Amino acid sequence: MDLFVFLALLQDGITTGAIYLLLAIGLLIVFSVTRVIFVPQGDLLAFGALTAASLQSGHVPGTLWLLDGGAVVALIASLFGGWRAARHGILAWGVYPALVTAAVVGLASQQLPAVSILLAVAIVTPMGPLVWRFAFRPIADASVLALLILAMALHFVLIGIGLVVFGPEEAAAPAVTDASLDLGLLTVPGQSIAVLVCCAALVIGLRWFFEASFHGKVLRAAASHRLGARLVGIDAGATGALAFGLASLIAALAGVLIGAMTPLSYDAGFDIGLKGFVAAIMGGLVSYPLAAAGAVLVGVLESLGSFWASAYREVIVFTLLIPILVWLSLRSRSVEDRA
Amino acid sequence: MTSRRGPGKRLALVAAAAIAVVTVPMALPAFYVALLGYVGLATLVALGLVLLTGISGQTSFGQASFVGLAAYATTLLTTRADASPLVGLAAGLAVTGVIAWLLGLVTARLSGHFLALASVAWGLSFFSLFGTIPQLHGFNGIGNIPPLRLGPFSAEDLRVNLAVIWAVVAIAMVMLVNLLDSRTGRAIRTLNGARLMGESVGIDTVRLSRAVFVVAALYAGVAGFLFAHFQRFISPTPFSLSMSIDYLFMVIIGGAQSLWGAPLGAVVVVALRDLFNDWMPRITGRPGDFELLVFAVIVIVLLQRAPEGLLPLLARLRRRPRRPDAAAADVAAAVPTAPMRTATAEPGRELLALDAVSRRFGGLAANRDVSFAVHEGEIVGLIGPNGAGKTTLFNVVSGVIPPTSGRVRLFGASSAALASRRVAALGLARTFQHVRLLPDRSVLENVALGAHLSGRAGVLRAMLRLDRTEDARLLAEARTQAVRVGLDGLLDTPAGDLPLGQQRVVEIARALCLRPRLLLLDEPAAGLRRPEKQRLAALLDQLRGEGVGVLLVEHDMDFVMQLADRVVVMDFGLKIAEGSPEQTQADPAVREAYLGGLA
Amino acid sequence: MRTSWLAGAVAIAVAGASAAAHAQIKIGAILSISGPAAAMGVGYKAAFDFLPAEIGGQTVEYIIRDDGTDASTAYTIAQKMISEDHVDAFIGPALTASDASVAPLANQAHVPMIAMAPYEYDPTKEPYTFNDAQPLSLMVAVVFKHMEAHGVKNVGFIGFADGWGDQVLAATKHAAADGGIKILADERYARTDTTAEAQALKLISVHPQAIMMGNSATPAALPVVALRHRGFKGPIYGNHGVVSPAFIKVGGAAVEGVIAVTSPAVVYDQLADGNVVKPVATAFMTDFTKKYGPQSVSPFAGYTYDAGLLLKNAIPVALKAGKPGTEPFRVALRDALEKTHDLVGVSGVYDMSPTDHNGQDARAASLVEVKDGAWRVIR
Repeated sequence: MDLFVFLALLQDGITTGAIYLLLAIGLLIVFSVTRVIFVPQGDLLAFGALTAASLQSGHVPGTLWLLDGGAVVALIASLFGGWRAARHGILAWGVYPALVTAAVVGLASQQLPAVSILLAVAIVTPMGPLVWRFAFRPIADASVLALLILAMALHFVLIGIGLVVFGPEEAAAPAVTDASLDLGLLTVPGQSIAVLVCCAALVIGLRWFFEASFHGKVLRAAASHRLGARLVGIDAGATGALAFGLASLIAALAGVLIGAMTPLSYDAGFDIGLKGFVAAIMGGLVSYPLAAAGAVLVGVLESLGSFWASAYREVIVFTLLIPILVWLSLRSRSVEDRA
Repeated sequence: MTSRRGPGKRLALVAAAAIAVVTVPMALPAFYVALLGYVGLATLVALGLVLLTGISGQTSFGQASFVGLAAYATTLLTTRADASPLVGLAAGLAVTGVIAWLLGLVTARLSGHFLALASVAWGLSFFSLFGTIPQLHGFNGIGNIPPLRLGPFSAEDLRVNLAVIWAVVAIAMVMLVNLLDSRTGRAIRTLNGARLMGESVGIDTVRLSRAVFVVAALYAGVAGFLFAHFQRFISPTPFSLSMSIDYLFMVIIGGAQSLWGAPLGAVVVVALRDLFNDWMPRITGRPGDFELLVFAVIVIVLLQRAPEGLLPLLARLRRRPRRPDAAAADVAAAVPTAPMRTATAEPGRELLALDAVSRRFGGLAANRDVSFAVHEGEIVGLIGPNGAGKTTLFNVVSGVIPPTSGRVRLFGASSAALASRRVAALGLARTFQHVRLLPDRSVLENVALGAHLSGRAGVLRAMLRLDRTEDARLLAEARTQAVRVGLDGLLDTPAGDLPLGQQRVVEIARALCLRPRLLLLDEPAAGLRRPEKQRLAALLDQLRGEGVGVLLVEHDMDFVMQLADRVVVMDFGLKIAEGSPEQTQADPAVREAYLGGLA
Repeated sequence: MRTSWLAGAVAIAVAGASAAAHAQIKIGAILSISGPAAAMGVGYKAAFDFLPAEIGGQTVEYIIRDDGTDASTAYTIAQKMISEDHVDAFIGPALTASDASVAPLANQAHVPMIAMAPYEYDPTKEPYTFNDAQPLSLMVAVVFKHMEAHGVKNVGFIGFADGWGDQVLAATKHAAADGGIKILADERYARTDTTAEAQALKLISVHPQAIMMGNSATPAALPVVALRHRGFKGPIYGNHGVVSPAFIKVGGAAVEGVIAVTSPAVVYDQLADGNVVKPVATAFMTDFTKKYGPQSVSPFAGYTYDAGLLLKNAIPVALKAGKPGTEPFRVALRDALEKTHDLVGVSGVYDMSPTDHNGQDARAASLVEVKDGAWRVIR
């Protein structure tokens, strides 16, 4: 393997690593606030990509009707929840979907990449809070295991919906740019740069959100001690919705970004989500910097592994997880008991 | 809901099941025979999973891998090497067992969701391997697997094969029922959230977890072996992560706490799937679109509405209090209890000596330079305001945590580095400030945990029911101690139903079953009424007379002062006073600590 | 299950009541409508609308079920179709692995099975197995003839890390040996991979003159894009699995010039006028695209349609020997299928014998290349 090949593999690995990092962040946010290991995040990634592809080809994507349907149910539910809930519900589940629907129906035929990308993200992002509201919130106090199993069941639901809405074929999301950067030894595709830029922007944006904004601090409070947060009046339902909303925003964005480089089918998101999940585990499900390092490691390993033993690539990545888990578990050694 | 039926009733049940298993398939059309076969195989895997996840609390998303390992092992041997299926069975079990044992070495220390995630990892790895190793033919699969054969008998007929499968399921079920109804079974129940307590009575929880893990894997392996010779065709897909998730669905839907949840869950999931695959296309006119979706939604609804599973739901419909096994009770009374573990006591001999023991947690010094001793035939009271570090000291002495500095000498030898189960084996028993019991199990079973070290029968003997004499002896001992502390009449009550004070007494009985030389009691009188306190005081007095040393943390001053020979007072991690009850009561430092300097 | 009993009872009553009861012919169709092979399954399934509803005076019912791209599922579905639905024949499965699992069942129960995916079998050992999809060896040989004619001496291979990749490689090895071409590398990737850059780099590093692909459908575009992106200039060849409009749509400009082989049905409008397949293929595809749109052209629909043609040809003969739903009918159906001579389908001409249950020849293969964003026949 010469330098050129190594650099090409590295660049490839870092790009996919950035996607895994995004997903890992989303997973961490959701887990720390709600204790849900949100494995179906990968499926939302596929939704994002396929919705953008659908819009780009001039069609109204089926996910729009999914959003509208869910929004109607959420709206009705919120009307029973008191004045503040109703007010919030009308805005979030009434006004917002109406605006998005109007935009999609009006602009779908334009087939503009920027519009397709934005609308795709706009459509898929509310699915996170919807999933929280109807799937997880009813058993929000259950054990981590029960929530994990629910997440797995939800994965099957999303796949089922994906098959019905998008059909089995793969589709490619529109690229942000078709240009590429010539670095002498290496040609870096513009889309890769877009991925890295978006990743950096998101990380910085989230950092600001958590450090400086009110809602971010509320989320951090809920993440650090759920019961304590509730005792000071922080609404567990709302923080959960916010956390899931962030995760689905990230997933949708990651989907449109990677969907331009690789055509995705309705069930291809799960694998990607799993690797983001591996990265999150490397951070022990608590540390963002470690997850970032883990994501890049997974991406690069995957890339290098494909080169050396392409068929066993998956085995390498997933088997690597085990010693890492052991190391993590030994670090946080405590005989876990329920009082 | 491990029903304790008498041996006669159990035999009748098995016989009835055997007859049903042989005759019912005769009447069914071929497809339903096949379906019941798959239900049986799934039940086998689910049984292991109930034991692993439901009862011992180790979640595994990787059971399908073990099914696959055994399936491929027997397939390769019987198709390539023309071996007999029995050889395939041996190979399948060997492969599964060894790999499970190796994985267990690595993962037995993983807790909670880390273990679940590790199982996802190996589930995916093995699935990838099944699909990529050339000899396994990838997704084209391997066909023409010979049917089960034993001498002249062949299970080529689907119905005969079905009978074999369900016979195996019946035996497997009985073995697990036996296991759970034994000393090892009681120990296994501590793995799920009560490991600290388990270690305190001498259970090697890590080793036991690993054993349970291997048992569950072997169950899956047997299912894999049977599957290969039943379907006569295998490919990697039945051994995927999706299938592992399905098995978990079965267990969760059926009810993870009881073995009967396994067949119930298996029937529900397999039947549901078949129902959907058959009827959804007819209703919607579009095959392949909605089945998975509807199935998953139903699973979600079930998870939300019946998080404990269907079995407890059904059980609630027919409330039946658990009845003691009448036969066992007689046996328990008849066997004489073994002589006291403590031989001739030597009043005054040192049992425990702490020498400048300190324990820090980061910046917090919970114990600072604490030194005192406890001797045989003496009751030492350990008192002090809340937060003084008393329970931490208990944890250091009983081996739960090591001291940061200082020496601990237990029964004459240094014990600072010993784990709590070793300390228990040496003769130290303790109770806990926050009661740690198995709330769903009877008082007798909880107390019997204390006698764990008096027995030797392991997993295999328990499953084969070769441990009855020993178990009867353990239960008799438990009964004696329970009666001794005043719990007669409550022996079959679920421990969680008792008021908190009584639960503490259960802990004491459990501690006594250990035949301790040194007893550490953490607030045993809390929540007891006066007559009960008097009874407890009398018991402790009796123990003192028998040469047992007692270290007692208490807040009830009357209780401590009347009972203790010596009192040690702690505050802010320091020992501030030591002496007779009268001396410490008069000590100004003690007064200051408790009353804040009024005097 | 009570509902099905009730329905069944009513059905029997009604059937008994009507004097001249129509004995229905039941055809079981096991397709991959969900899962990784679903993209192809769509094509297979769509053509069922064009199969005859009546043959030889008997109504025909097609029972279509989804095996989810899983051989084990196909197996259980087949069991049910045999013992519960009493199917007279199978169309499909449309997946090699499912073919492998169902064939023993079909042969044991004496149910003729027209497999629709490349599947290796011995007709003398599996007399009830038939196949209307062109054998891989046939298709790959056509591709390699093009290579030889253009002076290619060595190739690199890239394919799926699963059964399909294995099969194409096996056929490639044969064809390469026949033509004196060396295979320099064998790279694989998973259908669900997001990138094949690493494999492309590895291929390029051994400097092959051409690349042969063992993949299919839209994931096949991945290595082409990667290879071109990393500067590979030589010809890229594919098997018949890659020929679809979606491949071009997803691959974009990068797949221009890819050479592959396909069913005549896919390029029906470009066939030479003397081609005997042209009229049949044109008639079918015109109707098909009218219903499903011009983008729906696929070889898979053609396989389904041809299976229908084969049955339409054989059933009237079989009806002379027995009633549908009985073993004599099925045995006779098998015999009649084996005697299919010069039946012109949309995927080729079928001429079967006891040792050849596929019966296709070079007329079943059209060499094509991607030109100006569409598949064009190479003359």
